[in-house]
Amino acid sequence: MKKFLLLLACAASTSALAQRPQAELSCRFTGTDFVYDCVIRLMRAGRPLDGVQILLGADMPSMPMAHNVAPVKAKPGAKPGEYQARLDLEMTGEWAVKLRLSGPVRDQLVLHYEFDEKGARPAPKRSGTPPRK
Amino acid sequence: MDEYTIGVLTNVGLFTFLALSAYLLLIAGEMSFGQQAFFGVGAYSGGILTAMYGLQLPLAALGAMVLGALAATLVGLPTLRLRGLYFAMATLAAAEMARILFELFHFQIEVEGETTGPDGTQGFRGIRWVFEHGVEPLEYMALVYALLLVVLAAFLAVERSRLGATLRSLGEDPELAASLGVNVGRLKLGVAAVAGALAALGGVLFAHHNTYIEPRNFDIMLGVHSLAYALIGGLGTALGPLLGVALDIGVLEGSRIFGGARMIVFGGLVAVLLVFRPRGLLDERVVHWFGVRAFKRS
Amino acid sequence: MLQDLLQNTLDGVALGASYALLAVGFTLIFGVLRRVNLSYGPAIMFGAYCATWTYLNFQAGLLVLGIVTVAGAVLAGVYVERLCFAPHRQGSAIAAMVASFALWMQLEEAATLALPKHLYAFPALYEGDPLALGPLSLRIESLAMLGAAGAISALLWTILYRTRFGLAVRAIIDSPTAASLAGINLPRVSLLVFALASAIGGVAGYLIVASHGQVTPMLGMWATLKGLLAMMLGGLGSLPGAVVGGLALGLIEAHSQWFLGPQARDLVAYLLLFALLAARPAWMTRWTSTRSAS
Repeated sequence: MKKFLLLLACAASTSALAQRPQAELSCRFTGTDFVYDCVIRLMRAGRPLDGVQILLGADMPSMPMAHNVAPVKAKPGAKPGEYQARLDLEMTGEWAVKLRLSGPVRDQLVLHYEFDEKGARPAPKRSGTPPRK
Repeated sequence: MDEYTIGVLTNVGLFTFLALSAYLLLIAGEMSFGQQAFFGVGAYSGGILTAMYGLQLPLAALGAMVLGALAATLVGLPTLRLRGLYFAMATLAAAEMARILFELFHFQIEVEGETTGPDGTQGFRGIRWVFEHGVEPLEYMALVYALLLVVLAAFLAVERSRLGATLRSLGEDPELAASLGVNVGRLKLGVAAVAGALAALGGVLFAHHNTYIEPRNFDIMLGVHSLAYALIGGLGTALGPLLGVALDIGVLEGSRIFGGARMIVFGGLVAVLLVFRPRGLLDERVVHWFGVRAFKRS
Repeated sequence: MLQDLLQNTLDGVALGASYALLAVGFTLIFGVLRRVNLSYGPAIMFGAYCATWTYLNFQAGLLVLGIVTVAGAVLAGVYVERLCFAPHRQGSAIAAMVASFALWMQLEEAATLALPKHLYAFPALYEGDPLALGPLSLRIESLAMLGAAGAISALLWTILYRTRFGLAVRAIIDSPTAASLAGINLPRVSLLVFALASAIGGVAGYLIVASHGQVTPMLGMWATLKGLLAMMLGGLGSLPGAVVGGLALGLIEAHSQWFLGPQARDLVAYLLLFALLAARPAWMTRWTSTRSAS
């Protein structure tokens, strides 16, 4: 009995350790300014995380609170752990996309992506004070 | 109420602390461009205390407020003798220095197998106390407003008291106040410390609401915004800053009628409003009129 | 080592020339109106965006773009003056400043609505190699900036000391009350000074944007910050001080960046300003007679 409880405790703590979900975005420019069709891949502990409600928002780090993108609910995508959403941004540039997860998993992720005329790439790591002008 | 609206209302609440911070200094006669630095100090210290050292939010918030007050005192000691634009520029310089220091601040430790902590310009991710303790968005909003209520009640109480009158006299005519025996220097420093603590409280709440902070969040835009909130809402009462924040964030975020021209409309409205009401919507005259009406014996 | 020092000094002076122009514009407005205009940079950005739009749609040449920049800046400047500063002339300085901040937001949004990309290419002022002065190099754009700063300073001096308008401006800077008692039309002179300051800013903005070959909406805040910093470093309210402050800022930035890295560049400048304000030497605080901001 004790051994069983210990095993259970270990299993629980392992899952607690790898609790935090990870997400990846891949976006395609739809051609209309500045709407992007995005696929979100949600994973936890290396396995796709399905059945989560995702609310997307976006803000521009270089001009905080100056923009406002309407929050968008993601729809389940083609594969498990994949979700789709259409983001209507106001400009190209670096955006902080905020994923608010609810349902089986409650959490919040913030991802930095660089949006341009083609799609979105993960934003490069900045070295210092952003270039002037 | 959907989660988005709750989020917006929470933002209104926590940014009001920052606006109150600017308002307090304005009443005492100093225009600060730097309250965002104490907001940042609160955000970073609160986040560090909960995400890296496992403190509970209330204690972390207290710690953040103490640090905010300390930082404000540090900045205030050499600068509160300055007036007008000089003080404003000194606070701006201090706040920008703080922001650059945040960019240089790398302090990460392993917490439960994940690297956590401020990482310079990459920001500070994973401030998840709210999620780790199952706090619903509505509960968090209630917490923010409960704190705000306490603070506003304190402000309103002070404004009716002698301390309040002394503070306002400081703002309007410091020489006169000094000649009446007020220790102007010490009082201003006290005001600055309280303002720093308030801004820091807003910062802690912001960090935990957003779960992610970065130095760019605490730039001059935020500072000038906080001054604007205080002024637009009105300098007659502590409810003014709340009104200012609510107008800006609430109305603009909530309605997208104007599409991309929000700021054009709002900015124009603000400029026009200030022409007619240079001390804001709830300025001293309105508050006095309301006070007279409310307490008139019929 | 010496070569680095000299090169940095050269770069710093060139950079400082642009800061000097910005500071001069700020000082003109502050001297005459006793107010800080937070829309100064954004007005310049508006001018630069007008020029970018012109370039994108008409492929205009450098001279036309320069004129458009200045015209756009002056237009925006006059708009700001009418809405934010004229109504508060007798009133609250903070109200004027917050109103100018509101218009800053307006101008920024207007620019990004018209040209929504985060970055636009701007035709470069000069495509060739930098000038070689022995072991040092000087970019032609920097030379242009220095030349412009010199020319504008000379022009300004002429206006201020050789024209009746200049006399009126100097009288107002000395004492607005006395000036208006002497019959000077304060509102009209203020408006003209604003336009002049915006024009100077427009020239600076054009040269900056053409030197870098690109324009972003961040130009507004950047120009305001640098102009304010340079103006304060040189001693608030003094035009020669503005030039000196601008050059000093450029030198400080160039040297700090070289020896201490890019973040140090801004840190050192702010630290210096803070230290100067805290120490309060007399030349920095000439305007303590100005009533507090409220």
